[in-house]
Amino acid sequence: MSEENPARRAALRALLRRPLLTAESDPEALALVRRHQAELRDWLSRETGWRLQVDADTARLFKTAPTLEDGTHPARGKAGEPFGRRRYVLLCLALAVLERADAQTTLGRLAEEVLNAAAEPGLAFPFGLDGRAERSDLVAVVRLLLGWGVLRRVSGDEESYLAATGDVLYDVRRVVLASLLTGVRGPSTVVATGFEERLAELTDEPVPDTDELRNRTLRRGLTRRLLEDPVVYYDDLDDAERAYLVSQRAAITRRIDEATGLVAEVRAEGVAMVDPDDELTDVRMPEQRTDGHVTLLLAEYLAGRKEAGWDELTDFVRDMAVRHRTYWRKGVTEPGAAEELLGIALGKLAALRLVEQLPGRVRARPAIARYAVEEPTVRVSGQLPKDTGDRPVTDDTRPLTDDTRRADT
Amino acid sequence: MADPGSGAAWPQPFAHLSAPNAALYRDVLCSFARAKERFIVHLRPEDVAAESRRESDEQLAQALEKLVEWGNLRADADTGRVTSVEDFHRKRLLFQLTPAGHAAEQAIAFYEEAIGQRGVLQSVALADIADRLAALSALAGEDDPDPAKLHLLLLALADRFSSLADNAQAFMASLRRAIDFSDGDVEGFIEYKERLIEYINRFIADLANSGATIATLLNEVEARGHERLLGLVARREAADAAPSGADAAEAFGRAEAAALESWRNRWRGLRDWFVSGGTDRPSQARLLRRSAVTAIKQLVDTVGLLNERRSGRSDRSADFRALARWFAEAPDEAATHRLWRAAFGLTSARHLTVTAVTVAAWEQDAPQGVPWADAPPVRISPQLRRTGSYERRGKPNRVQDRSEMRRLLRERADREAAETAAARTRLRTDGPVRLSELGVLDARAFRLFLSLLGDALAVRLPGDTEVKAVTGDGSMEVRLSLVPHGGQVHIVTEDGVLSGPEHLIEITDLHE
Repeated sequence: MSEENPARRAALRALLRRPLLTAESDPEALALVRRHQAELRDWLSRETGWRLQVDADTARLFKTAPTLEDGTHPARGKAGEPFGRRRYVLLCLALAVLERADAQTTLGRLAEEVLNAAAEPGLAFPFGLDGRAERSDLVAVVRLLLGWGVLRRVSGDEESYLAATGDVLYDVRRVVLASLLTGVRGPSTVVATGFEERLAELTDEPVPDTDELRNRTLRRGLTRRLLEDPVVYYDDLDDAERAYLVSQRAAITRRIDEATGLVAEVRAEGVAMVDPDDELTDVRMPEQRTDGHVTLLLAEYLAGRKEAGWDELTDFVRDMAVRHRTYWRKGVTEPGAAEELLGIALGKLAALRLVEQLPGRVRARPAIARYAVEEPTVRVSGQLPKDTGDRPVTDDTRPLTDDTRRADT
Repeated sequence: MADPGSGAAWPQPFAHLSAPNAALYRDVLCSFARAKERFIVHLRPEDVAAESRRESDEQLAQALEKLVEWGNLRADADTGRVTSVEDFHRKRLLFQLTPAGHAAEQAIAFYEEAIGQRGVLQSVALADIADRLAALSALAGEDDPDPAKLHLLLLALADRFSSLADNAQAFMASLRRAIDFSDGDVEGFIEYKERLIEYINRFIADLANSGATIATLLNEVEARGHERLLGLVARREAADAAPSGADAAEAFGRAEAAALESWRNRWRGLRDWFVSGGTDRPSQARLLRRSAVTAIKQLVDTVGLLNERRSGRSDRSADFRALARWFAEAPDEAATHRLWRAAFGLTSARHLTVTAVTVAAWEQDAPQGVPWADAPPVRISPQLRRTGSYERRGKPNRVQDRSEMRRLLRERADREAAETAAARTRLRTDGPVRLSELGVLDARAFRLFLSLLGDALAVRLPGDTEVKAVTGDGSMEVRLSLVPHGGQVHIVTEDGVLSGPEHLIEITDLHE
């Protein structure tokens, strides 16, 4: 993919951020993807082995998780809250039911059939949809399906279902439903019974037995990690991957840079593909408002340490809350608030691979050092730029990525 | 058993249908029916066995006996030569269908035919109908048409038409089955699909072609007086039916009226089939075409559904149920998130952010590859670090600047568009005018005028005195012709005076 096409970059970025684009929710991104689908498909299959499926109403990038150990990518509800087990189970049951459903269904009927499906032997999960809280789980699931375009609302609204005063009618869109699972292998064909074995079998891709193909597999695997994960530490790679990344780093990161506009931050401990446009992510840092600020302050605090105990960090957050109480949201100095804030902040830092949470303590990972408080002496120019901070400068050395962003805003 | 010659006292020719061995009885009777088609009346048990491709055994003998008992068959002593001692000692019989048995066979055949009707429309019938109508039209043109010929023609027409209509009805009914295949009767579906495609191939085109021909012919025959023809045929039919007797004339009149009414009715049926009576009463043929198109749509949908199920390689519903179980059995919350990401692959990519300033600092200060701790850190806005927000809420400045710029640009574009429109209106001429009559032009109108003039002069070949040109954007047309001995003209504008030879100019705004 050559560098002169910002629109193509925007298309790939859209797919990386939202692997399922629909005409309803992302018309512009879908149009971009459709226009560049041939090149995107080429690039993706060559560099990552991922399949791209595009039709008039949807675009789906069948991404695979680059690693199986990362538990920081939950499905999220309307307010950004991560899905719990109950919702995941409900989601799968709803999909199983919809797969067999007619072209239209209502929320009430869906609920009924989900209950029936849950009652089938083999599912060790007690269900009921009597209370409002339980129904709201189902509604959260349905909203997710609406967001993906699996369901299309015809009449009614979910609120009235929650209040048990009405029902909602949906069209079921099988084409989208058919493209939800990303693996090559159907889960029902997996025979393993242990969780880890199931996960491994589900995502298993055959390893080719020629050197050339093995290298391609290595390159694709690394490209996937660099495309998906904030930081790829050499420590997290096996010997073959590490050797390949060290020797091919420049080539791999250049290709990713050209295709996505991500910039390689190459350090002794690993590589981070960082985003000058601050859009290709679901967890932002730095970020405004209380949670973002706590996270930033905590990162700075941890940047100078290898490890910190949970208590020490809670104290730190409590201090910060007192100091910043005028800027932060209400109630941050109340009992228990510090623990909650710390939990949120550490969640973000862990999601960005900047810390590792261990029982009772937190270990800083190398890349957190990039948030160390800047020493004034670092600035070489005599003219201290006033408050440039996150602002762009006009003589940007990466005009193309900047243009991409501007075109998008 | 009663006397083998006469069967049971009361024939029960349908009893075998509900007997335990119904299939065997049907086989046996079918072999008699088939034999009868070949004008063979008597069958020996071994003939029956050969015909129905089964062993000539005790079971068959019993079945034959039973059928004789029910009155379907009749048994006569077989007096033919034998070739073995065993045969000689065996009770040898010849079987044949009784009249009751034969009637029952016919009834069953009729029933099966009616039930098993495939509903494929015959394009041959369409051709036949068109032929007959053409012949009818020719007859109608004669002064004294032969009633016998006419009658046969109309009978044939009615016959072909009723079979066409029956089949069409059956076909329409079978189209409704399309939806029923959603539960995955793949074989049934494939059979249906082939039938439908056969139908499409053989019929739709014919219907479109012959349908129009037939409609035309119908109109033609009606124009030549179809009533007269129907009357002739009715009279002929009535002659057949009329009883002899005193009230012969009256009975004849009644029969004629009834026959005429019946023919009129059939004619109307034919007409309704092929000739639309306006938009609210489309012809049957049109309805059929529409149904066929709908059926094709349904077919495509169903094919898609089946394909989608096959391409899943596993039953997707089962996949989701399996996943539900895995989620339920996952060891902890983080595990459910891992499973979610692995199975659905719908999560966002996640990247750290960087600013251009930071990247510049990296490029300036540190070669890549040093530890993170030694590299220049990311520059964070001091304001953000201090307060948790940038000075201004919402998006950073530059984005707002851009939108402001865009607004200005848009305003400017709008203004220019308005001015251009005004200039065009100013320049538009009602018919040819002399350049000298154009009057004073403002700057914008003059610029537009200059470009028009340029366009026109550019296409003028040496020696031309008149040219016509359309502007590059296709919005205006300009005609220019030199006025002989017109002398020099001066066009006064805000920017100065343009001088040149006098021309006649006509400017047309093509947008109007």
